[in-house]
Amino acid sequence: MALLEVRNLVKCHGDKTVLDGVSFELEEGEAKVIMGPSGCGKSTLLRCLNLLNEPTSGEIWFDGEDVTRPGVDVRALRSRIGFVFQNFALYRHMSVLDNVALALRRLKKLPTREAEERALEELHRMEMADKRDAYPAALSGGQSQRVAIARALAMDPKVLFFDEPTSALDPIMVREVVTLINRLYLDNVTILCVTHDLSLARHISDRVVFLDRGKVHAEDRIEHLLERNDEVIDEFFGGEG
Amino acid sequence: MTFVDILLTLLRGAGYTFLITVCCAATALVAGLGIAIARELGGAWLSAVLSAWVYVFRGVPMLVLLFIVFFGLPGIGIDVPPLLAMMLSLGLISGAYLAEVFRGAFAEVNPNEVLAAQSMGFTRLETLRLVKVPQMARFAVPGMVNELTTILKFSPFAYTVGIPEITKQAMALTATTMRGIEIYAALGLIYFAIYRLLLGGVRLIDKRYSIPGFAQE
Repeated sequence: MALLEVRNLVKCHGDKTVLDGVSFELEEGEAKVIMGPSGCGKSTLLRCLNLLNEPTSGEIWFDGEDVTRPGVDVRALRSRIGFVFQNFALYRHMSVLDNVALALRRLKKLPTREAEERALEELHRMEMADKRDAYPAALSGGQSQRVAIARALAMDPKVLFFDEPTSALDPIMVREVVTLINRLYLDNVTILCVTHDLSLARHISDRVVFLDRGKVHAEDRIEHLLERNDEVIDEFFGGEG
Repeated sequence: MTFVDILLTLLRGAGYTFLITVCCAATALVAGLGIAIARELGGAWLSAVLSAWVYVFRGVPMLVLLFIVFFGLPGIGIDVPPLLAMMLSLGLISGAYLAEVFRGAFAEVNPNEVLAAQSMGFTRLETLRLVKVPQMARFAVPGMVNELTTILKFSPFAYTVGIPEITKQAMALTATTMRGIEIYAALGLIYFAIYRLLLGGVRLIDKRYSIPGFAQE
């Protein structure tokens, strides 16, 4: 059974249908990218999956559990899903170490020392341990994204969600973050990534879910998508393939 | 009577001025923070009620409210001691202003950080306590200093309800010596010294909790 299974997911904002019957699966250890034109519902989809946005209808099965049923333990669900935002979203009033250790102390209830040791392990993995006492304002975009990834990984999630992880970065930082996410991909971390970035999609994904106007327009390997004679896909990639 | 003698005589009331300022500031802080947090967590109905409260308390003249509390409430059987009357008038009016300062400071908190905390599993209350309030408090420092200064400057109204603070001492001394210019100049100096003392305290706290680069992004 897939780690994540989305069945006929619908999300409406007022009378506007943002997601219109989206279905796809994500296997454990798989990396899948969600692409599509601006406003097609990519970020909304990601936020529905960990219930930051409440779906209007449809089912989301995560790790064998229907998380759209009433009374689901939202905190337990979210603690199993790491979420990395495009603007890093590091807590500005906390040091790098505290950013990573906070949820370990408060949600996983680890003693401070143990939480900090665990946080440092992830910072080492992201090559950010030497910045443990720095504050987010002192970090570059790439460094901030590394800390954000360390913060998500520290909770030992079943899957890592990325929402446009490279869109707030300059080209050099983009390469750095692409390499980093590629390393996670090769380490068999389960990844679901929303992006506009073709290079990122090529480096980290097994398959791409292509959304258009709230529906799954196509799902395939990136090279196969680029080979298709599809007007919507061609227009989106703008001949980059 | 030398200028120093005048200063020393007036200083007898300085303790009261300090006490009034600190008590009213504490009241304002509790009220302002309570209103701001309730607005963050509460629904539209509670927010509307609290907005009306803030609107009314910002519009009422301080002396009028003080007289209602101190001279009006005994008429319905509620005797309010002078210091408490100051806290319920000056303190609550400043609390309404601080609620607005805190509302603006809450709006400065990056919504993505709030979203990040919630996406990790923190509840709204935990997110408020761990992410929003610590940042809001830092953003609010300049507005809080302004309001603290206002409280100090309104503290002389306490003489109208019988608290022998420094303005009252200055009036009494002027009545017996007729040396108003020196006495009120000394009074101004003392107020300035108290202001500097309070400001120094706030700056120490601000420095203790300051974060490199915070609020400069």
